Formats: sequence, structure tokens, C-alpha cells
Amino acid sequence: MTDIKNEKKIWTRRDVLKTGGGVAAAAATPMFFMKDAWAEEAIGNYPVKGPTVKFGFNVPQTGAYADEGSDQLRGFKLAVEHLNNGGGMLETLKPSSLKGNGVLGKKVEYVTGDTQTNPDAARTSARRMIDRDGVIMWSGGSSSATAIAQQYLAQEKGVIYMDALTHSNDTTGKDKRRYGFRYFFNAHMTGKALAPVISKAYGKDRRAFHLTADYTWGHTQFNSMRDFTEAEGWTTVQNIMTPLKSTDFSAFLTAVLNSDADVLVLNHYGKNMVNSLTQAVQFGMRELQKNGKTMEIVVPLYSRLMAQGAGIDNVEGVYGTTSWSWKQQDAGSQAFTKAFEAANGFPPSQAAHVGYCQALLYANACEMAGTFYPPAVIKALEDFKFSGTGTGDSFYRGEDHQAMRDILVVQGNSKAKSTGKYDLLNIHQTVKAADVTYPVNTFKGELGPYKPA
Amino acid sequence: MVNSIFLQFLTGMQLGAIYVMISLGLALIFGTLGVVNFAHGAMFMLAAYFGVIISESLGWGAAIFLVPAIMFAIGLAMERGLIRYFYTRPHTDQILVTFGLAIVVQELLKWQFGANNLPFATPDWGTGITRLHDYLPFLEGFVAYPKWRLIVTAVSLITVAALFALLQFTTFGLVVRAGMRDPEMLRLLGVNITQRFSIVFAIGVMIAGIAGVFGGPVTQVDPAIGMVFLVPSFLVVVIGGMGSLPGTVLASFIIGLAISFTATIPALANIIIYVIAIGILLFRPRGLMGQKGVME
Repeated sequence: MTDIKNEKKIWTRRDVLKTGGGVAAAAATPMFFMKDAWAEEAIGNYPVKGPTVKFGFNVPQTGAYADEGSDQLRGFKLAVEHLNNGGGMLETLKPSSLKGNGVLGKKVEYVTGDTQTNPDAARTSARRMIDRDGVIMWSGGSSSATAIAQQYLAQEKGVIYMDALTHSNDTTGKDKRRYGFRYFFNAHMTGKALAPVISKAYGKDRRAFHLTADYTWGHTQFNSMRDFTEAEGWTTVQNIMTPLKSTDFSAFLTAVLNSDADVLVLNHYGKNMVNSLTQAVQFGMRELQKNGKTMEIVVPLYSRLMAQGAGIDNVEGVYGTTSWSWKQQDAGSQAFTKAFEAANGFPPSQAAHVGYCQALLYANACEMAGTFYPPAVIKALEDFKFSGTGTGDSFYRGEDHQAMRDILVVQGNSKAKSTGKYDLLNIHQTVKAADVTYPVNTFKGELGPYKPA
Repeated sequence: MVNSIFLQFLTGMQLGAIYVMISLGLALIFGTLGVVNFAHGAMFMLAAYFGVIISESLGWGAAIFLVPAIMFAIGLAMERGLIRYFYTRPHTDQILVTFGLAIVVQELLKWQFGANNLPFATPDWGTGITRLHDYLPFLEGFVAYPKWRLIVTAVSLITVAALFALLQFTTFGLVVRAGMRDPEMLRLLGVNITQRFSIVFAIGVMIAGIAGVFGGPVTQVDPAIGMVFLVPSFLVVVIGGMGSLPGTVLASFIIGLAISFTATIPALANIIIYVIAIGILLFRPRGLMGQKGVME
């Protein structure tokens, strides 16, 4: 048997001095030396071996949001091109550590996947990118349901996911994750920016009927629009949750016709919105008189691609919000639009813009951190203030990973004023970040740890 | 109140009208040939694509006549080239081969036209609204309905009437109906039933063609739309009674009306078609107007 008493460590004066000195030296070491010390730990697909680094772009190539997905992929491809060879927003992003020679000296490669606008498919595809292809970061998507599912996967795997087109309050609210960052705006910001504009345009005594896509984004979009329009004096008559796979909205639109509502709010996106708006117009809703007023249609979250699908006659005069427009005149937007047009022959959509910026901002954070080590990159992104990407003075809020940035209130263009087939939305107002920001505790949720459990 | 019930009824009829046109072909093919054709949704979709292409290049007039004609030819080719080899094989084999064909069609369309939806504009004469209160005095105030949806409903009813007339009042129909009862006896009498049946198959596909060209502008044209309509159409046939044409028509309108009248209760609207299917099959396993012993 071992005598425990004999094994007990006897501290000598010399030991105490040595240990105390060591602890003091460690505590005094600047953080940038520490960085290399924790960088040795493998997390996710870190460390990156070889002369290249791989990004994953997981976009909807099928399903209700396929149009957005294909354009987003073009944005990502352009980002990779610029990261490797310079150009585009590399010249306008401030502050920027990007050199146009890859990221941390490694050329960027990419793999793509199809989220199918379905959370399970998105997760399976992302898992394949992480496990098989060894991506250091992935991005993409055009649905909050897929974005949230992927954020949880990111946290589990220790691989950063840069959210793309996701607008639900939950993404950086109750489902926020340390390994997910959102540059896109959200439903709350839409409500805050749009409600005053439509109440000014259509009056304070309005009765709204909502048709809402039945999943996380639709739900929060409806809540935010209801809250902000009611604060303006509007009444919410009814809301119908419509299945995401709906293609024929006639039964729901008939219910709208039968109500006493004089505004139709379409909390729909992608093909859903193209169909519901087109069909609402077919039902004569833009000529209809209700309560002595002309019926109006509002599309809270707009995109040029959707406007294109619906046709200019159907969107004329319809208000909504959007993340970004190729018509913006700032240097960053112009640099991106020119490069995109040169590569594809037509201007980019907001889906392409958000993808492009997210890839660049991630790469820039790696350069700033001097490593691909995920916790260090996350710290570099948190509270990072930047400009030159077409959204004014922006920053990733550290507490919830939501970017605070300018957003646009837009209005459908008319055939007479349009300068071409891509000139479908007019910028009605640029709403500054300071006017759409909100307290972090507006939504619950925890980010979780820097290192995956 | 009158207005709202009438409008939901009209919407229900209009939804049912599209289901009728897709399901009728399915029921016709099953009733005569005993083949469960899972590629039928894909045929509807293919017709919608042809509709877009032809209406844009040659005009709507051409699309209305050419698309059903093309689909008739495709139906003939499909029956002669593939389906006839499966008449005597089990239903599972038929389902597998036709489902496989549906996937091939879907992927070919995706490859050729992309996964995005194609805009399918209605012709000028079908665009706009019809002021129903001008024609129906019992409606109060201003009541309008999209013109194209009224046209789709009318076309569907005409198609149903034409098919029933063909089967009831022509020699061809007599032979087909006799063939459905007792094909062996007909063969013994020296009637070329095989040739008649390939025409029946082609007619079924042609009706899906009519659905595609008229229904496309309201349902959306993308490579997934065939599968979207396959399951409800199949359920319609089951509810109506496998192979029963009147049953299929009845079931289509019941489903359309049920969806329309439950639209404001989304939780119910999503499952109503299945609730009806369960309810009917529980109490009447052969379907509404199905023959005793067929798929009971």
C-alpha cells in the first residue's frame, strides 16, 4: 500500500518563488503571444494544412429560393476570385487586412452544396463539406430555417458559419450561436424602417391582412410588421400562415377579398412572393376599393430577383425593404457591381452581395487574427467596425453577432421610368444603422462558448 | 356573407378544376389498363413547359392546340415504348418504372431550364378580372375574380364533358368500356383492344397536357411542380375510387372546396386532403364510386 502522507508535496521557498514567477510572467504576456499558444489546439478543420484553404458555399439550388441561391453562388465565386487576385471591394473595405493573394498566404478554393431550401438537406450538405471536404468556413443560404440549423451545426463542429440571406429575428435572437455571424438585416429592422414609411404613404387608419410563410422567418416577420404597424395606428385584421411549398395562393387570397382589410402584407420571399404577389394582382387587389380607400400591397422583404419574377407591372409602387441595391452609388457598391457585371453580364442581387461580403469579411478577420483558429477569428469579427461594403458604417455586434448597418426602403419601379430589365426597384430611403438598431436584450438567447463542447 | 361563401366556393371549384384535369388521366389509365402511372405529374409539368415555350414563340392560340397534340404523341410513344411491357407485371414494378421516368423528366427539365420557375404569362384575352356582380345579381357590391381562373375552370368542365361523351356515345368508347370490363372476351371477339388501349393512354396524357397549358399560369412552372401535384392527384383518384371517372371528378371538387373553405385555418388546410382520404377510406375502402373489389 502506498503511504499517502509520504507522497504529499512539501512546498519549499524556492518552489513558491519559481511558481509565483511563472504565473506572473504568463499573466503579463501580451495577448498576441497567447494567440499562438492556444492556436495549437485543433478545432473543427483547424489547423489548415497545405498551400490552399477551402471555403464551402451552401446555397439553395432547388426549392422556393433557388433564384436567390444561384445568384448568391455567383457572388461567392467573385469573392474567391478577388480574395486570390485582388479587385472589387478589396479596394474599398476599411479597415482591410486583405492583400489579394489568398488568405494568410493560402489560395482560396471552394466547394458548393445544395441546401434545397430545407434545413435537413442544408445540414447534410454542410456536414459533408466539413467532414469530407475539410472547409475552414462555410456560408450561404436563403432561408432562416436552413441558417439556424447550420448555425447549430457550426457550434457543434467548431467551424464558423457566415450566415447569408437570413432575415428571421431568431437567427441572431433566440437561436444565436457563437459560430454564426449575420451581415444581413432582420425582420425587426424591416418593421422599424418600413412602418413609418407606409403609414405616411397610406395613412394611419389602415386595416392589414397578412399572408405569412409558415416557418421561423415568416413568424418573426409577421410579429415585427404587426408590432410596428400597430404602433403607427394600424389594425391587424388577420394573419394566415401559408405552407412554404404553396404555389397557388388563391384560397388565401379569396379570404383576403372576403375580409374588410385594405392592406395586404405579404410576408413571403422568393417564389412564394412571386406567386402570391402575381396572384394578388390577378385577383384585382391593386384596383380594389375597401373602406373608401384603394387597397395596397406591402412586401416587407423585397429583392430585385423577386421583382423580376413577378414582373414590373405587378411591383409598381409596392413598398418593401432590401439589404442592398446595385443602384447604390457608394464606392464599395460600385466596385462590386462593376466586377459582377463584367463576370456575369447583369447586375448582382442582394443575395449575391451578402454572400460576397460575408466571404470577404471572414477572410479579413483571419488576416486580422493572423490565424484560422476559429476562436481567434470569432474574436476578430466580434465588434469589428467596417465600411466600404455598401451598408454605411457597419459593425458586427459582439453580443449577438448581428451586423448593425444601413438598410434600404425600396419601392417598385414603373415601366415608364425603368432604364432596363434590372431596374425594378427604386431606393425610397436609406435608413441609417442608428435608426434601425435595437437593444441586445430585445431578443433572448445565448451565443454559447468559443470552443465547441 | 353571400359574397364570401360564393367566392370561397368559386376558388374551391377552380382548385378542383386543376385536380380534375390531372387526376382524370390517372384514373383513365388505371381504369382501362390497370397501370398506376406515377409519371403523370411529370407529364403535366412537361406540358406546362411546352406551354411556356410555344406560347412565347408561336402564340397562345398555337399553344392551346399544339401542346395537347404533342402530349398525345408522347403518350402514344410512352405506351408503345415502355408501359406496355409492364401490363402483366406487379403494380410495384409499374410504380417503380413510372416514378423513375418522372425523375428522369424532372432532371432533364432542370438540366435544360434550371431549377428556377419560368414566368408563364396569360394571353391578353385571359388577363384581368371579371366583374362577377355584373352577371350574378345575388352578389352584393363589387365582386371580381381573375378571368384566367374562370377560363381554367370552364376548360376543365368542358374536358370532363368531352371525355364522358367520348366514352359514352362513341363506338370507340363502347369498346374501351367493354375492354375495362372483360378484355379477354373482347379479344375473343376479334377486337384489337391493344391498339384502343394505347390510344386511351395517350388521351390520358393529353388531358394532362391540357392541364399543363391552362393550369401552368396559376400553378407555377418549375421542375418540382410535377411531384407537387402527383400526391394530391393520386389521393383524389383513391378517394374517388380507383379507376372510377365520375368518382375522380367528384373527389377533385370535394378536395378543392375543402382546401378553399379551410384556408383561414392553416393547421387544418394543410392536412384536410389527408383527413378526407382517411375518413372516406375508413368507411368506404373502395372510394366514393369505386367498383367492389378493385383496390379495396
